[in-house]
Amino acid sequence: MSTKNKFFSVGRRHWEWRIKPSEKGQWARLRMPFSKRHLLQWRGVHNPKNLNRERVLIDKKPLWWTIGLLLLALITPFLSNSLISVVSIFCMYAAINVLWTLIVGTAGIFSLATLAVVGISGYGAAAANVYLGVPWPFMLIIGPMVGFVFGAILAAPSTRLDGLYYALLTMGIAEICRVFVSQLRGLTQTGGAITQVDSFIPEDWFLQRPGLLLGFAGAFLILLGALLVWRLVNSERLGLLLRVAKTSREDEAFAEAVGIDFRRARLFVFVLSSAALGVIGAFYAMYYKSISPSVFSLDQVMLLFAMMVIGGLGRAEGAVVGAAIVVLIDKGLIELGPLRIILVAVIMLIVTMVTHEGLTGAREQFRAFRKRKSGERRARRTIKGGEVMPEEATEIHDKQEIYYRRFNKRLRDHLKTLITPDLIKEHQEAPQGKHSDQLSRVLNFFRRGEMPDKYVIMRLKEGEDDYRVMAVSGVKGTPPRVVDDKIYTNLNEAYHAVFLLRVNDLLES
Amino acid sequence: MDLGLVIYALNLASIYALMAIGISILWSSVGMINMAHGATFAVSGYGAWIITGVMKPIIIASFGKTALATFIMASTLVGSALITGAICGALIYVLAFLPIHDKPNYPIRGLIITLAINIASVQSLLYIFGPRSRGLPKIFGFGRWEIWGTKIRFDQAGTIIGAIIILSLTLGWLKYSRRGLEVRAMMQNAEGAAYSGISRKVTALPVLMLTGALAGMSAALLSQTIFVSPTSGSVPLIMGLTIALLGGLGSVPGAVIGAILIGFLEAFIGSIPFLGQRYVMFSTFAFIIAVLIIRPRGIGGLLDDTRE
Repeated sequence: MSTKNKFFSVGRRHWEWRIKPSEKGQWARLRMPFSKRHLLQWRGVHNPKNLNRERVLIDKKPLWWTIGLLLLALITPFLSNSLISVVSIFCMYAAINVLWTLIVGTAGIFSLATLAVVGISGYGAAAANVYLGVPWPFMLIIGPMVGFVFGAILAAPSTRLDGLYYALLTMGIAEICRVFVSQLRGLTQTGGAITQVDSFIPEDWFLQRPGLLLGFAGAFLILLGALLVWRLVNSERLGLLLRVAKTSREDEAFAEAVGIDFRRARLFVFVLSSAALGVIGAFYAMYYKSISPSVFSLDQVMLLFAMMVIGGLGRAEGAVVGAAIVVLIDKGLIELGPLRIILVAVIMLIVTMVTHEGLTGAREQFRAFRKRKSGERRARRTIKGGEVMPEEATEIHDKQEIYYRRFNKRLRDHLKTLITPDLIKEHQEAPQGKHSDQLSRVLNFFRRGEMPDKYVIMRLKEGEDDYRVMAVSGVKGTPPRVVDDKIYTNLNEAYHAVFLLRVNDLLES
Repeated sequence: MDLGLVIYALNLASIYALMAIGISILWSSVGMINMAHGATFAVSGYGAWIITGVMKPIIIASFGKTALATFIMASTLVGSALITGAICGALIYVLAFLPIHDKPNYPIRGLIITLAINIASVQSLLYIFGPRSRGLPKIFGFGRWEIWGTKIRFDQAGTIIGAIIILSLTLGWLKYSRRGLEVRAMMQNAEGAAYSGISRKVTALPVLMLTGALAGMSAALLSQTIFVSPTSGSVPLIMGLTIALLGGLGSVPGAVIGAILIGFLEAFIGSIPFLGQRYVMFSTFAFIIAVLIIRPRGIGGLLDDTRE
């Protein structure tokens, strides 16, 4: 009898990286300066095997963020000129996306006017610089001021209209902005663009390597700033309030009932991100030294939306990952022509069809899927085999029972292989008497069967050869039940019928 | 306001109504915002262009230049546009509805998938046919009528009449057929319809094909006035969406009223000398925003709470 031992993994916890803290530094944690906030979320645990103290990092995202951003900052200076500008554009788009995610995910306002805010504040700052002669550092103050005012105007109807109505309204506002800017009398020669904006990049460095590096440094700082705004909003009280009223209408009602003014919080986040978008707008105008009405175009909005969707709507890491993918395709593979937009659309299609929450949510989705499947498998094993599953084993006090069931399972598995048409024929010819080795093993197993539902033969009338097959109940006082209506006129026939029933039960178990 | 302006306004209104009603019905019954409606519009325009291009020599060879030939030409054009639109609708059903209709985040994911379909098909059209616009055969001819001193071009009259016929057919189907009853039940209350044994999965296919055919019809009608180009779907899509909103979600009369209002508004603004054609979009959006702020559910829409 050779059944291969198969072991199943027990429990649902996945393996985690653990470190051993030093004796003294048991409770030492890195903290933000001037606050009690921890930088990394460590949890102290005991190893159940040797009872040593260990530490587990609960949230590993900060590590990934640090590694990714450091790599970006270190590798970019060694790239070619065109790639540096691609990376700078990536930083700018990623920053816009992070702030957009703040509006869509944290505040839950489905606005499509994000680029309109960027554009309007960029225009405001550029106009102040070109027509009023304001020096460039002040553009970074004028931009957010314009963004703040425009954001406040945009935010006003958001409490009254819900969801998609508001999305379409903001789309309309973006269109109005585009038409308005391109119709301005003073800008008709340039097609609505403001050119020759003063910049933090000196005039003779523009589009040269030092200028590109300076531009990248600025864009990288902008991205860091956007991530800081994201982090501050989400980790402070404001984010907490908004998370209460996040998912459904019932949650909103609950938040209102416990006294959270979630509408005000949403408006606040909206206006705050609009001001931050204003900084990006001013930076945008300075980076290109000009700004044109194409900022407001629907295609551009769609491209940014595609970035967020591919990465995962409502997650900061999704906004950045999506921006990386789409910018790489859109700006890095320019020789593909219109095919690259098709490629972006196809990626967007597949990602949305397959994943529930974009690429960054794929890992959790896969884990949930795997957990569900393993649960299904476990259930199937339990039903089929009758062997004790590891989870069940901890619940059974009498360990003898577990071994008996395992033995029984293996025995049955082996006996199933013995049953052949020849064996059945042998039994049919001589139910009693000397049997072959295989048949006697099978019959021995049947003889040892448990009392409940054991088959027995009943003689219908005394002295006559009429038999029926019954199954005893196994409970005292409860009569046996009739298995079928068939009446056998020969005892051997009845023996064989019982044999067949038992073989059937064995093969089904 | 003279009669010519009214005719122009009705012409615009009929195209907008065809688009808006498609979006509105789909939105309220299946719960999907079809951003690929514009792509359906452009693709069915191109489908009609290809098929009429193939059929034109055959028809001329067999019928000559008779009235019958013109009639067959017209029915080929409209039929091919309708069928292409319906096929697009079926394609959207397969890609954007079937895989995700019972999964989490269905409304937003449906919107995203249809948006991706829209981008992909517009770019594919650009890639295959190039940005040049194509003229379809003029099925209503080039003449014009004189009524009370104003000239009405044949294509305008044909568009208005064709739109009215198609709309009445659609509304009749919705009102009198069994499938239409199911669609209306889903529009009123999706959950209640499901309890009464109306399958969303089964009903969504005819709805998507119907709305696709409506987009194809509007493409065929608009091709009589302007040319067909890969990006020609974007303006009808945006106008259709905003008019569906203005009319109210799931309200067919609301969408018709909205389309007529916007048609007249556009014609009127376009005729004012100092504003001119450039501010048409601007004023339309301003009007729609004003209406939505005063009445957030649109002209004829139900409140969301009522629908649930």
